[in-house]
Amino acid sequence: MIRRLAAPVVGILVFLGVWELVVRLNDVRPFVLRAPSRIVAYLWEHAADYAAAAWVTAQHAFFGSVIALLVALVVGSMMAASRFAEHATQPVLTLLQVTPFVAYIGSVVLWLGSGTRPALFIVALVCMPAFTFATVDGMRSADPATRELLASVDASRWEVLWRLRLPSALPSLFTAARYNVGLALIAAYLVEGGNFANEGLGAIGKRAAALNEGDALWAAVFAMALLGTFSLIALSLVQRVVLRWHVSQRPPRPNWD
Amino acid sequence: MEVADGGTAGIATEVWPHRTPTRLAGVAACSIPEFLHSTPMSSIVVRDLTKVYGDLSVVDPLTLDIETGSFVSLIGPSGCGKTTLMRVIAGLEPASSGEVMVDGAPPATARSHKRVAMVPQQPGLLPWRTVEANARLLLDVNRRENPEAADDPVNLLREVGLGDFLHAYPHELSGGMQQRVALVRALALHAPLLVMDEPFAALDEITRAEMRVILARLVEGRAATVLFITHSIAEAVALSDRVLVSSPRPSRVVADITVDLPRPRPDDVEDDPRFVALCAQVRHALHGGRV
Repeated sequence: MIRRLAAPVVGILVFLGVWELVVRLNDVRPFVLRAPSRIVAYLWEHAADYAAAAWVTAQHAFFGSVIALLVALVVGSMMAASRFAEHATQPVLTLLQVTPFVAYIGSVVLWLGSGTRPALFIVALVCMPAFTFATVDGMRSADPATRELLASVDASRWEVLWRLRLPSALPSLFTAARYNVGLALIAAYLVEGGNFANEGLGAIGKRAAALNEGDALWAAVFAMALLGTFSLIALSLVQRVVLRWHVSQRPPRPNWD
Repeated sequence: MEVADGGTAGIATEVWPHRTPTRLAGVAACSIPEFLHSTPMSSIVVRDLTKVYGDLSVVDPLTLDIETGSFVSLIGPSGCGKTTLMRVIAGLEPASSGEVMVDGAPPATARSHKRVAMVPQQPGLLPWRTVEANARLLLDVNRRENPEAADDPVNLLREVGLGDFLHAYPHELSGGMQQRVALVRALALHAPLLVMDEPFAALDEITRAEMRVILARLVEGRAATVLFITHSIAEAVALSDRVLVSSPRPSRVVADITVDLPRPRPDDVEDDPRFVALCAQVRHALHGGRV
């Protein structure tokens, strides 16, 4: 475990070290680029505020993703069952995926009011397409031999969905979740900055940018990075337990060459 | 239902005296009214069955009776429509014309009552289920139709030598072990008809020989009818009461060979001269008498 953690920690320390050196050696002025040591010091000083804000952002991202996942499972099951539903839904999902959601955050805030609701809505909206496509792909990849076997004892559609199709979709859903972690956090951050609830890391970042408080802004960026890292680690742990039967989770075979 | 099965199995033994009563110990001895002797009960009845895909005729008008409790192999060249015939009998595909009765009912009805247990060519195990849970899969769906006398999959798994692997996952098993789980999964259903589509085709020669012995032992003492599709002449002769030889597509039965080797058959049945002669007979039929 320690050995597996060592490499990424070294990588990050080297990255931050180079950054620190560049700033110090070239005497870069703080409003252009701050040294990481200064950002970390600021973050440490205001740790309680940032932790509280990060907790809010984490909840927005998490519950928004859960809503996205639930909607995606329903929509994806329908798409996997019917080509018409698939062809009708695909362009809408693709539009959702490629349009800049930042542009309509304002409208959503006007519509849903400030606070948690627009944050959950936007996060769910931007995470939904990837989850849906993963559901469709995963369900379609269900082993045909097993499908036939279940048909031979007249298993109901619901039983096939529950016993075969949903578990078959788990690996691709985890892949989508990995991609969605970053997306959900960024969406949550941007909505928090765009609404007037004054909570979450996004709100801190927005205020700092408006007041030209570089340290506070960069500390918010670092807090987001930490939050993202912890989220990905948590996701990996869940994946290791849930997908323990899957090829991707098996220890590599010894090399006999 | 179980009583009725026992009865019909007994009749089958009387009508086809080449079957020794060992496989049906306990049922064969029961007395059967005289008039029933002349009405053999069939587990599978096929009358003038055809199957057409577009312009392609896969099964020519085919008529077939498979008596209850017998082990019948269907052997034929690749792509001769054996699998299609099996899918029609299992109720997974409708016939284009003709009539099929399985266990006294149309295939779709037999299927909805879980009267047909399939062993596919690929084991088709679910990678997220343990060996034990995989063996239970067919009992876990459509539960209303489960037979009262379903066998305990755990006992069957022990019987086929997988007692130490109940909690293992499929990827931890060899190909032969996976196929043994697939066999147990089908047998646990306690269905009156077992349909096996080249279940050992993907296995190596040594494992195959082992699997044949395991299958023979599992089926011995059961009243189930077995329809076994295979490419292997030796496998067909060693296991069966009857070997049906199919022509190339469209499927037609060109020979119906009775295997009257006594049961239980010893593991070295292949050394029996009668076995060798039967294999030759099947081979000749397969090649249209040209070899």
